[in-house]
Amino acid sequence: MEKLLEMQHISKSFDANQVLHDVQLTVGKGEVHALLGENGAGKSTLMNILTGVHTKDTGTIAFDGNVLENITIKSSENAGIAFVHQELNLFNDLRVFENIFLCKEITKFGKLCKKEMIAQSAQLFDKLGVNIDPNELVANLKTSQKQLLEISKALFFKAKLLILDEPTTALNNDEVKHLFDIINNLKSEGTSFIFISHKMPEIFEISDRYTVFRNGHYIGEGLIRETSPEQITKMMVGEKYSTEDVYKVRKYGETVLELKNFSGEGFSDINLSVKKGQVIGVTGLQGSGSSELLSCLFGETNATGGEMKLFGKTIKNLTIHKAMKAKIGLLAANRKENSVIQDMNLLENMYISEHTLSSKQQIIFGKKEMKKYLSLKDKLKVKAQNPTDSILSLSGGNQQKIFIARWLNTQADLLLFDNPTQGIDVGAKAEIYKLILELAAQGKTIIINTLEIPELQKVADECNVFYNGKIIKTLSHSEIDEKTVMMYSTNAVNATKAG
Amino acid sequence: MGNKKISIGKYASQFSYILVFIAIFIIFVITSNGLSVNGVMNIFRHSTVIGIIGLGMGLVCLTGEIDLSVGSMLALVSGISVIVFNTTGSILLTFLCAVVFGMILGFINGFLVGKVKMPAFIVTLATMLIFRSLAQWICKQVPKELIGGGSSVYRMSNGSDAYQSMYNFGNGEFLSFPIVGIVLLVITAIFVFVTTSTKYGKQIYAVGSNDKAAHMAGISVPNVKISAFVISGLMVGIASFIWIAMNASSDPATTGASNEMYAIAAVVLGGISMSGGKGKCLGVLFGAMSYTVIDKIIVALKMDSLINNTIKGAILIIVIFIQCASPQIKAYFSAKRRKKS
Repeated sequence: MEKLLEMQHISKSFDANQVLHDVQLTVGKGEVHALLGENGAGKSTLMNILTGVHTKDTGTIAFDGNVLENITIKSSENAGIAFVHQELNLFNDLRVFENIFLCKEITKFGKLCKKEMIAQSAQLFDKLGVNIDPNELVANLKTSQKQLLEISKALFFKAKLLILDEPTTALNNDEVKHLFDIINNLKSEGTSFIFISHKMPEIFEISDRYTVFRNGHYIGEGLIRETSPEQITKMMVGEKYSTEDVYKVRKYGETVLELKNFSGEGFSDINLSVKKGQVIGVTGLQGSGSSELLSCLFGETNATGGEMKLFGKTIKNLTIHKAMKAKIGLLAANRKENSVIQDMNLLENMYISEHTLSSKQQIIFGKKEMKKYLSLKDKLKVKAQNPTDSILSLSGGNQQKIFIARWLNTQADLLLFDNPTQGIDVGAKAEIYKLILELAAQGKTIIINTLEIPELQKVADECNVFYNGKIIKTLSHSEIDEKTVMMYSTNAVNATKAG
Repeated sequence: MGNKKISIGKYASQFSYILVFIAIFIIFVITSNGLSVNGVMNIFRHSTVIGIIGLGMGLVCLTGEIDLSVGSMLALVSGISVIVFNTTGSILLTFLCAVVFGMILGFINGFLVGKVKMPAFIVTLATMLIFRSLAQWICKQVPKELIGGGSSVYRMSNGSDAYQSMYNFGNGEFLSFPIVGIVLLVITAIFVFVTTSTKYGKQIYAVGSNDKAAHMAGISVPNVKISAFVISGLMVGIASFIWIAMNASSDPATTGASNEMYAIAAVVLGGISMSGGKGKCLGVLFGAMSYTVIDKIIVALKMDSLINNTIKGAILIIVIFIQCASPQIKAYFSAKRRKKS
């Protein structure tokens, strides 16, 4: 194997906190290398060192035969390293070609040669098989197109190594397939990739080799075809990983929620009946209506038709406040945007919702709130030091637990979980799902929307697959499996029938 | 040992407004050749109006908005209050008029910003122009006897017992402490309590920190924003009442001029983030007092008062520079130290 990148003995500390302990990473020419590890394992830090965002404390980096020293963002770019970030770094108010050529514009006597740039962009998209109009405003692109644009942008300037940080989060299955085709094509031309992802099936589909980090330490590397998802997961999480099946059959209570021909923004004619203690899964591709249904049930968007009955009472003109009073809680998708109140501490982030319900009594009694916090913290096993620590000091999984605590604190009985394990590492995911089952066993009713079918398999009593705003199929617990769900969520079933 | 060092540093950055105040105060003591009780009391007296307006501004800034109209509002509300005083001769009615009128004006700002979702900078820039112009226009239009016989100034008609009581309130002392200074301290205490120990206060911070998440947590973001502007108006109302009690008049052309800028400066100096969600109301008190002390220093040094704003502006830049640059400087040195070791 011809080596393209060799990073050795890399260590890095932030203040007193050492985040990388003598780690190494070797990437060959024309290979897709999966960099694996839980959140906080040090993957991002290492990538940031490689691309000049952070400076290393010790270690050597050799790229394409040269030793890189004092890397800056610019010099790593010039060397041929491109970082496609998880948060897309595009300018929404500029056009597609302007984004590609930003700071590298083609000019003639100081005047932009727009036609030339547009033509070159179109040529590039053609070559990659990407369907984007170079003249379109980036704001008008779909998320998946933006992701492809980021990648195209990197390729345009002849990157030899592309770092893809969770590139498939915003993509549906067809788009993922398309992306992988592009990657495979480029690979055969000699471009290398570092692929960061939490999704095992994808890692095994696209990668050639892997390196695993845990807690800032190098754990091991090898060929993907010589390992298995279980083995890798074990390497990533260490001792705490267990494959035990947590699902248990439970008894359900009376009907809590009943929807009849329920319609709203993005979904229509939903019929659904949920009993106390049930865990109901809803799933579907992005925009299929499953996430939109949860928003509407929480009063964030208005229902446009049909009937919603909660604990036997018909509910109309729902607002968020009314929904909370009716004992509904929504753990919203996009934690950073919709849940995290970044300037507040853990305690405040937990009690803020309950306070809107008990606003008649305005004064906050610190001791009482602390007691509630501590008991919920124990119950949810939140790993946190001090209640007055910033919410940002917690990992994604523990943050999510604080927000679950937020809704347990309001005594919500119907808990809506929208993509609860987004951006959470494997170990924490398992804990969240265990928690969901525990809550259900204690009599909470739960509706959970997720695209990760293996997770639904673990917890859901029933899975409703959405397609185009409607429930296309309801699967019982034993019927849930990845292939079946995908068949329905892409409507492949009816396509075959019709054909 | 290391632990203790960190906590002291943390403490210092959290209460930097006190350090700034102490530094300025020491300069004041040196330049005015020692400290007099009277001198200190005057600081309180002359910080009152800006301090009270600044507290309201602080609340608005905590929600992530801004209120540029407070200076003009002070001119308008104090003018109208003088008219009410001259017609009714009642202190109570004058006070009620000031606070209610201030709250109404604040509500207009708040409604447009919170409910209609117009940008606060534009809305309050517009109402700043409107309030100032109205204050001057009304002064010209009303019968002369209503504004105390003057031509372009609202003047309280003197001679009555009520006038004397107002004057005593505005300029009197209680145990050699200016009464208006006590009002400032009480209002500051109320603000500190509301922002730290009530549910409403936490909602203010939540909205300023992340309004989308606050909305998803069940907080009515429009109502919180409206309420912040109404309270800002209420504070201007109280400040207006104190202003006319102290000065017995209000000049619509100059009263409150640039006060919005001083209030914002006091808020920033007090450590409240202009993007919302961060900072303490106690800081506003020190921010406002710091600026009053600068005035006193300039008087003590017998400098031209026109240089006043240069110094105030420079201090603002220096303090914010230290706040913004210190994390980077710290990181630079700690990285260097690590490389050596």
